[in-house]
Amino acid sequence: MLKNFVPPDLFPAMPEIFLVLMACVILLVDAFLGRTQRWITAALTMVALVGCALITYQTMDGQVVLTFSNMFVDDLLADLLKLMLYLSVIVALIYSRDYLVARQLDKGEYYVLVLFATVGMMVMISASHFLTIYLGLELLSLSLYALVAIDRDSPRATEAAMKYFVLGALASGLLLYGMSMVYGATGTLEIGGVAQALHLGVANKTVLVFGLVFIVSGIAFKLGAVPFHMWVPDVYQGAPTPITLLIASAPKLAAFAIAMRMLVYGLFELAEHWQTMLMILAVLSIALGNLAAIAQTNIKRMLAYSTISHMGFMLLALMSGVVGEDKHFALNAYSSAMYYIVAYVIMSLGAFGMILLLSRAGYEAEHLDDFKGLNQRSPWFAAVMLAIMFSMAGVPFFVGFFAKFSVLLAAIDAGHIAVAVFAVMFSLIGAFYYLRVVKLMYFDAPVDNAPIQASLDMRFLLSLNGAAVALLGIFPDTLISLCTFALMRSL
Amino acid sequence: MSRWRDEKASIFGDNSEMNLFLAVLMPFLGAVLVALASRRGRAFAAWCTGGVALLSLFLLLPAMAASFDGTTTIQRLTWIPAAGLDLAFRLDGLGLLFALLILGIGLLVILYAHYYLSAEDSLGRLYAYLLLFMGSMLGVVLSENLIQLLIFWELTSLSSFLLIAYWRKREAARRGARLALTITGAGGLALLAGFLLLGEMVGSYDLSVVLASGDIIRAHPLYVPTLVLILLGAFTKSAQFPFHFWLPHAMAAPTPVSAYLHSATMVKAGVFLLARLFPALSGTPEWTWLVGGVGVATLLVGAVVALFKHDLKGLLAYSTISHLGLITALFGIGTPLAAVAGVFHIINHAIFKAGLFMAAGIIDHECGTRDMRRINGMWHYMPHTAVLAMVASAAMAGVPLLNGFLSKEMFFAEAHAAAADWRVGIFLPAAVTVAGIFAVAYSLRFIHDVFFNGEPIDLPKTPHEPPRWMKVPVEIIVVLCVLVGIFPAQTVEPLLAVAASAVLQGPLPEHNLALWHGFNPALWMSVIALIGGVLLYLGRKPLFVLHDRLSGRLDARAIYEHGLRTIIDFARRVLMRLEAIGLQHQAAVLILAALILGSAGMLGAASPLTGSRSLLPVDGVSLLAVLTLIGATLAVTVLHRQRLTALIIVGAVGLIVALAFIKFSAPDLALTQLSVEVVTIVLLLLALYFLPPETPAESSKSRRWRDGTLAVLAGGGAAALAWAVLTRPANSIAGWFLDNSVTGGGGTNVVNVILVDFRGFDTFGEITVLAIAALGIFALLENLRLIAPRRDVAGRRWDSDVHPLIMATFARLLLPLALLVSVFIFVRGHNLPGGGFIAGLITAIALIMQYLANGVTWTHARLPAHTHPWIAAGLVIALLTGVASWLFGRPFLTSAFGHPSLPLIGELPLASAMAFDLGVYLVVVGATLLILINLGMAHSVSHEDEHAKEGPWKP
Repeated sequence: MLKNFVPPDLFPAMPEIFLVLMACVILLVDAFLGRTQRWITAALTMVALVGCALITYQTMDGQVVLTFSNMFVDDLLADLLKLMLYLSVIVALIYSRDYLVARQLDKGEYYVLVLFATVGMMVMISASHFLTIYLGLELLSLSLYALVAIDRDSPRATEAAMKYFVLGALASGLLLYGMSMVYGATGTLEIGGVAQALHLGVANKTVLVFGLVFIVSGIAFKLGAVPFHMWVPDVYQGAPTPITLLIASAPKLAAFAIAMRMLVYGLFELAEHWQTMLMILAVLSIALGNLAAIAQTNIKRMLAYSTISHMGFMLLALMSGVVGEDKHFALNAYSSAMYYIVAYVIMSLGAFGMILLLSRAGYEAEHLDDFKGLNQRSPWFAAVMLAIMFSMAGVPFFVGFFAKFSVLLAAIDAGHIAVAVFAVMFSLIGAFYYLRVVKLMYFDAPVDNAPIQASLDMRFLLSLNGAAVALLGIFPDTLISLCTFALMRSL
Repeated sequence: MSRWRDEKASIFGDNSEMNLFLAVLMPFLGAVLVALASRRGRAFAAWCTGGVALLSLFLLLPAMAASFDGTTTIQRLTWIPAAGLDLAFRLDGLGLLFALLILGIGLLVILYAHYYLSAEDSLGRLYAYLLLFMGSMLGVVLSENLIQLLIFWELTSLSSFLLIAYWRKREAARRGARLALTITGAGGLALLAGFLLLGEMVGSYDLSVVLASGDIIRAHPLYVPTLVLILLGAFTKSAQFPFHFWLPHAMAAPTPVSAYLHSATMVKAGVFLLARLFPALSGTPEWTWLVGGVGVATLLVGAVVALFKHDLKGLLAYSTISHLGLITALFGIGTPLAAVAGVFHIINHAIFKAGLFMAAGIIDHECGTRDMRRINGMWHYMPHTAVLAMVASAAMAGVPLLNGFLSKEMFFAEAHAAAADWRVGIFLPAAVTVAGIFAVAYSLRFIHDVFFNGEPIDLPKTPHEPPRWMKVPVEIIVVLCVLVGIFPAQTVEPLLAVAASAVLQGPLPEHNLALWHGFNPALWMSVIALIGGVLLYLGRKPLFVLHDRLSGRLDARAIYEHGLRTIIDFARRVLMRLEAIGLQHQAAVLILAALILGSAGMLGAASPLTGSRSLLPVDGVSLLAVLTLIGATLAVTVLHRQRLTALIIVGAVGLIVALAFIKFSAPDLALTQLSVEVVTIVLLLLALYFLPPETPAESSKSRRWRDGTLAVLAGGGAAALAWAVLTRPANSIAGWFLDNSVTGGGGTNVVNVILVDFRGFDTFGEITVLAIAALGIFALLENLRLIAPRRDVAGRRWDSDVHPLIMATFARLLLPLALLVSVFIFVRGHNLPGGGFIAGLITAIALIMQYLANGVTWTHARLPAHTHPWIAAGLVIALLTGVASWLFGRPFLTSAFGHPSLPLIGELPLASAMAFDLGVYLVVVGATLLILINLGMAHSVSHEDEHAKEGPWKP
């Protein structure tokens, strides 16, 4: 029917295409491999991700390129986030390997699902259309549901997967509902088009605000912000630790990206509306996350609540972009949100990496007490954990401090002084449970005296991770500038 | 920021301009060095540590010399331009004073610690921590940037945590360390908030700017919260009432650490901050009341409690608290002269308290205990130490000719002068004098109990004089006490002058550092304090009895721990309420949240629910259908426990939906709905066969009400939303399809054209999904053995006639007919209602009928058990059709069409989309059959024995 057909420019989507092809190849290759040859799958997965990183890096030119009828965008923000995404997935894979092998969970499905989840995240990051966002989100979510249940014999994991699935489906429904409202109001789902329609004032604002509510709910669910957080503790605790590690790291980057694309790029004119909603979510998340974390004895669950409060902090920055009509602080606020997310991902990788480090066949180091006396077992890794915990608590000279600092600065710039003070007060409460881990490691006698068994690459990478937490705290400037630059070139 | 970037080159070019930075950096580097060097012996470690401190001092010298001329040295390094942060250091009089105290007393402590620690304790570790702490402390006092100051501030908390917990095996040390870290760390965060506000007010985090903007700050509406937050930081650090309780517990640290932390450094950081921000924040009633009030309260509480402590270091700890309160009170009074006195007392207290802690350490070291009820009569055992301790103690009491007297006298004078301005009248001088009395009394107790008062009781060791070099630091300090006390103008005046003028950021007030000021109220207050103190000490016995009775009632630490417990309990309770455990509960929270947000959005929009579109007239048939629909859904909800009944009603709901499609002239959809409905019901029935016929009632009544309400609300919300959208005019895309269906897709059945052409790609995706789903279900069901109940609830068996003859015959008769219908539907699909999807479903139903009527075995003999090849063939055909259009240079799945004429049949509208439709048809048939047959097989396997016995019906 189309007489003058122009094939879409596939070039900007090269990394995605490459990864999908590789995932299919790995799926095929793996079918012919025996248990002892599984390392080939793992190696191929690494090759795929590194290849993606190379492609993204090589094609990174700072231009904003739209393709697939404006459904897909390749800009600096996308490139930067994707590079971080590959890195965090690679790190997660390396951390997880020993654990999975010890439990015979290193099936081919694991690698393929991780790759598909990665593709999903990449699509989310590069989406310039509400439906593209939804497609990426579903690809990610469906892969994650399956991954949570990958240990089929664990009733807890299965239950977690079930809960995750049902609630996730509900949230997806809300998001879609919101998107349909946006379509109804503006007649388009293209993010640029929606912004245009809003700008020209042709959109039906009533319907739009209503759609916005559901879109924000959907994003909040993905981020795990209160009151859409219920899945977070259950899934973090129930899923096998490598999967928790994966869920707790890379998807937050993608969730940040879709929040940016939908709210900031698309619905910027409605900022006053969504900022109020985000403020409610942020305040609730910070309060509940920190309070609930205190009462936990399971470190995975504790970190789940800590994630909730971290996401609250990130939302704090997102809601500080526009003051009345003044958009002066927007760049600053959004880049601090991005910096916060990146810092969180680094810390989160390290924290769950530590749990994986202490786990071994038949033993899950998921209770706080398992960290007792770590300093006597391995002073070096106790120091790594110390750095991560201090960083999460927001102690100076660790990356978490600057993340919190820049977010608070953004909030104060926007005049949300009460909220900023409130956030600081709850970080105080938060500091308590992070310090408890430090106390356990340094002052208590070890419960478990087994030597730490971990492969060399994992030890090395985890050490590097700890060093990053400390070094990025002392020299945070590069990362901050990078975030600002990427946003500036893409906004 | 760029300004500083330009300057960066010159800073690196000229090393002399980096010396402040290097002086702060040196201890941090030194800490690593010492940790390594300690392997080469204790003395070596001590020399290294001392060398590092000296090197820092040396690096500061040029700037120190400059600051005596009143010049403030400021040096900057670019650090985080993006956040507007530089590494900026400043050295003015106040910084100079503190740097001297930190490094000078640090050197003495390093010497002292070398002899204090026993051989089995790692000296290297202590020194490394000590240097870390020293560096952090230098960072605090030399920072120009507030944020940088805060960072070092938190580092002092951390490194002091390590120092206090040095003896990590001791429970008390760990608890003390954690307490100190929690309180001071928490204060630090409050301080961060305060600094952020401060920076917001003046637009810069540079101290130079902040100090010059006192008027802006005081006039700012956020002044009070800022002040409170900053004071929280200062008070927690300086152990001011009511945050004072961490300090005594920090006494679990080794004594050299206490001597360092609690005389010149850690706790002085708080008063340093008060002094530093004095020009920016002071001079308001809020400042006076908060700082002055807290200071006086701390002064009193500390002095009173100190008297009753039996632990030597406990007494010193509370006396430290009291003296810090004194300094705070002086800054609170707020006059320039009071500030000078405050600075002076900082110096004096640092000197004598360091000496006292060291002396206490010697006694502890020699006696093996710190309990003053057991340590008595030390005069006979260590006369030399006794003299040193007594002088330092007298300085603490404020005895004339010693340094403590001078600043205390100034304090009394200020308190008296302030009484005239304050509405508190006589209260302030009175309180101050009472504190003075207690100070004299506890100093006296320290001297009398320890060195006289009979013979020692039951000491673990026999005490004797310590090693020579352990006393040297104390001697140096005592000499300083006396020198400053007698010749203040010659010794301390220049330092005090620059420090005080840096505090005030302005001209110094007239002050006269002399021993004798004539008979003035201050002197009388001193005399009263001295005499009163002696009298109080003499009459202490009944007071001790009273104290013992009251103690434990008012323990701030107990309050803290109670508070901690309360928070944790509160968190647990909140969790119990909020942490939804079950999935239903979680879903309920989620729906509720969406509902609340949605209602907020709807109410906030403030526009009418009903739009402008006019409604269609209502006719009787539609009304009846809608009522039936509502009735049916209600019936399903009510009867959902009886599964079979509920399922049949669900079927009815589906049929009404099909009728609705017919009403709106969509026969295609109606056909699809109808066939899908039949297939799903059959599928569900097959699954139901293995399940109990009734759902057990598990939820409580209240739960059902809650869920019911929630469902009604959420459903109502969705309905309202649908109403709002449907009543508004919308641009339908239907017109476009109607216009283009024939010209673009060659078919008049728009629905089918959409499926196979306009949205062909979607359909292709959907049939792929259908195929995958079928394979997935097949994988799940393969080899599955399900035990079906043989009797129903009433205990009735299944009918023995499994495959009734009449039904089997008719089913076979119907088969060719049904197949013919499906071909008919398929072929006409492109132009008239029908299509591959519906045709596929009809074929599938026809085949399933054979299974139902004739049994699996009979049908299996005639049909393949696996329909995988059908699915594969369907997918391949669909794919090839799509790819074929590439050959003609068109996008994937572009259809071509023509109207070839066939003999007999006539003209046949044929489009390439038909081939695609064939693919759809095959996939639908294959997938549906695969699922249904395997569900049936699961049953047949479990019933094999039964079948074998009865035998299938054979024609």
